Amino acid sequence: MIDRLIQFVAACRAADLRVSTAELIDCHQHLQCVDLVDEARFKTVLRANFAKSRRDQAAFDRVYDLFFHGPGAGEDEDAQHLDAEAAADLLSQAGMGGDGLDAALLDFVTGDPASFLQVLKDLDQQADAPSASGVKSNLGQLAGRMQVMLRINAIQRGLARLPDGTGQAPAAASASRRLNQARGLLTRQNRPYNDGLRQVRSHHKHYQGLGEQPFSSLTPAEIEQMRDVIQQLVRKLKDRMGRRFAASRRGGLDVRKTLRRAGRFQGVPLELSYRRRPLRKTRIVALCDVSGSVWSAARFMLHLLYSLQDCFSSVHSFAFVSGTTDITEIFAHNEVNRALEKVLSSPDIGFDALTDYGEVFYEFRQHHMHRINRKTTVIIVGDGRSNYQHPRESILAEIREKARRIIWLNPEPEAFWGTGDSEMHTYKAHCHEVRTCQNLNQLIDFIEELVL
Amino acid sequence: MEFESIEDVTCRLERAGYIPSREIATVVFLAAATQKPILVEGPAGGGKTELARAVARCLGRDKIRLQCYEGLDEAKALYEWEYAKQLLYTQMIKEKINDLIAGADSIAEAVERIAEQEDAFFSERFILARPLLQAISSDKPVVLLIDEIDKADPEFEAFLLELLSEFQVSIPELGIRKARHIPMVVLTSNNYRDMSDALKRRCIHLYIDYPEPELEKRIIRLKLPGIDEALADRLVCAVNHIRELDMKKRPCISETLDWAQALMVLNIGELSCQAVSDTLNVICKYRADAQLVRQSMDKVLSVK
Ligand SMILES: Nc1ncnc2c1ncn2[C@@H]1O[C@H](COP(=O)(O)OP(=O)(O)OP(=O)(O)O)[C@@H](O)[C@H]1O
Ligand SMILES: [Mg+2]
Repeated sequence: MIDRLIQFVAACRAADLRVSTAELIDCHQHLQCVDLVDEARFKTVLRANFAKSRRDQAAFDRVYDLFFHGPGAGEDEDAQHLDAEAAADLLSQAGMGGDGLDAALLDFVTGDPASFLQVLKDLDQQADAPSASGVKSNLGQLAGRMQVMLRINAIQRGLARLPDGTGQAPAAASASRRLNQARGLLTRQNRPYNDGLRQVRSHHKHYQGLGEQPFSSLTPAEIEQMRDVIQQLVRKLKDRMGRRFAASRRGGLDVRKTLRRAGRFQGVPLELSYRRRPLRKTRIVALCDVSGSVWSAARFMLHLLYSLQDCFSSVHSFAFVSGTTDITEIFAHNEVNRALEKVLSSPDIGFDALTDYGEVFYEFRQHHMHRINRKTTVIIVGDGRSNYQHPRESILAEIREKARRIIWLNPEPEAFWGTGDSEMHTYKAHCHEVRTCQNLNQLIDFIEELVL
Repeated sequence: MEFESIEDVTCRLERAGYIPSREIATVVFLAAATQKPILVEGPAGGGKTELARAVARCLGRDKIRLQCYEGLDEAKALYEWEYAKQLLYTQMIKEKINDLIAGADSIAEAVERIAEQEDAFFSERFILARPLLQAISSDKPVVLLIDEIDKADPEFEAFLLELLSEFQVSIPELGIRKARHIPMVVLTSNNYRDMSDALKRRCIHLYIDYPEPELEKRIIRLKLPGIDEALADRLVCAVNHIRELDMKKRPCISETLDWAQALMVLNIGELSCQAVSDTLNVICKYRADAQLVRQSMDKVLSVK
């Protein structure tokens, strides 16, 4: 039993679940103390120990099915049990070699998916390494998967060609079925459960007219007008913040300090002092798509964030098209409107390049990941349209692990998400909150929630 | 009285007014048997808090609850030192102190004599125990409910971690306090943010999903014994259809219960289009959601 469990944990780890040895031991102990009357109970015990959040349950269920119901588990009816030796013999007759990939496939056929899952994971990582030629292709992962797929096809052809009459046919058929399953894993998209996701659709009408007008259709004159509205709004918000802070910052009586001061007045506590509770202020990291139409939404968001800078403990901002540029400095040394102009004329931002979110996330991880910690709220403004490039959502998942929250503002209406080259549904799986942010009213709702 | 088996958990929870799924019963049993905290996740109103209460009831233990929020600190969660009270006491026994040091030859000696009484100045008396300390120092085992841990700051989570692994706390004025009994700990989370790996490692995990229709029917029958069978069936069926809609806030068990109650009070025995429409505000908290249900009335009222 324990051996099988250890094997299973290896498979879990290969599927990116972080299972510690302590948890393995716990689980083993737990299995001893219940009557395993049926499989459901067995699965419950494993799941309670190895998938410690709702997000992980999707990956857990997948590995569980592969491991206990997949190849070698004796599930499918006319399955031949293939022991390791027989399978190795069979597959080598079918032309299988002996390298790492072949060994992983052999394990998979005989019922242990761990090493094959690891191969898939490595493929994901390999895609992150810049290609030797220096040409940005973002296709490394696809190419790698293709290789694996071709190898599986070759082995299956080999199996089909085995001579009849040796009694190997049923075994070959079941090995081939298992290989089908392996191929399935190559193409399947796996998304974690994300039912904590807040999908906000706001309908407050703070301002008529201008407030409802889509950012993308504003004329230069209206943008000018918009500035005044935003200035007003900032004043109002700061006012409310100020009052709120003053009220809640005063904590209880600080006796220690009061007594220390009382010493000056012969022990009479004339001056009372209160504990000051610093309100938790959010650290903001903002990633703004500044290509084409999205820029108009991003600019107003940046405008608001920087006008309200003292409401946050820090604001860091990045602009991106196909790479990330740190624009924090520009805002630090210029008045907001001037800074916005400067961002637009910055030579570092390749405005005419194609937007590539995968590349953006990759660069962000390379250079700016240290900006993110458990107090950081990451705000991404963008349409998620990545020109059919590899989205690299695993990096967004990594950011999520480090950050407090990820909030995605999309200037497109929800009906357009996921159409064409939009990867919004892929990215949504890793966000804590997603919002449509097409006009000022929706932006105001968001900002109010953020600061108040 | 500890649990004997998973079936025992089911049976006793039901008697305590909580209908557990098989998964819930299994995890509760394991947690109790191995003294591990349970980390419960699930949609709002799914019975997370109620589970902790029911466990306390059926174990005959007190339930101590710590509600988490942003800015929650040790003073509110663990204990607070009552300086004012200490000061007041010192003032009131001033005379006694004078007696105590009367006849001392030197200041050093006076200090020495006072120091001998130190225990009286730094005693439990001046400690205001908050939920965590209460749970640890109670002379009977308790159920400790740490509600909505995802609302607390990461710093607090780290502090809690220490408590959950050692079941002891150090109080500078008094020294180290070790738990007399390990409490049964239930942590709940609504997934506002993710918990740290370290915390997750210490707990066993339970996800409480919307209940299966059969289970939900039993819950309704338990809470509203007078309800008509057929109505309960239709109701649960409708609620399950409603949950499939793309709503802002899906109706949870307590809303199903409210709805059932409303229908009973209004003497509505048949779930018609009109009846649903009239009582919709009970299960839909947002106008947009109510609108959505109205638009999908055919689907909602269909019997599977
Ligand atoms: N399995 C059950 N058996 C009996 N009653 C239940 C069950 N599940 C939920 N309830 C009822 O649902 C109501 C709501 O549950 P509870 O307040 O515990 O939800 P919650 O998950 O803590 O919600 P929140 O996330 O909003 O705190 C309870 O008052 C209880 O009556
Ligand atoms: Mg609750």
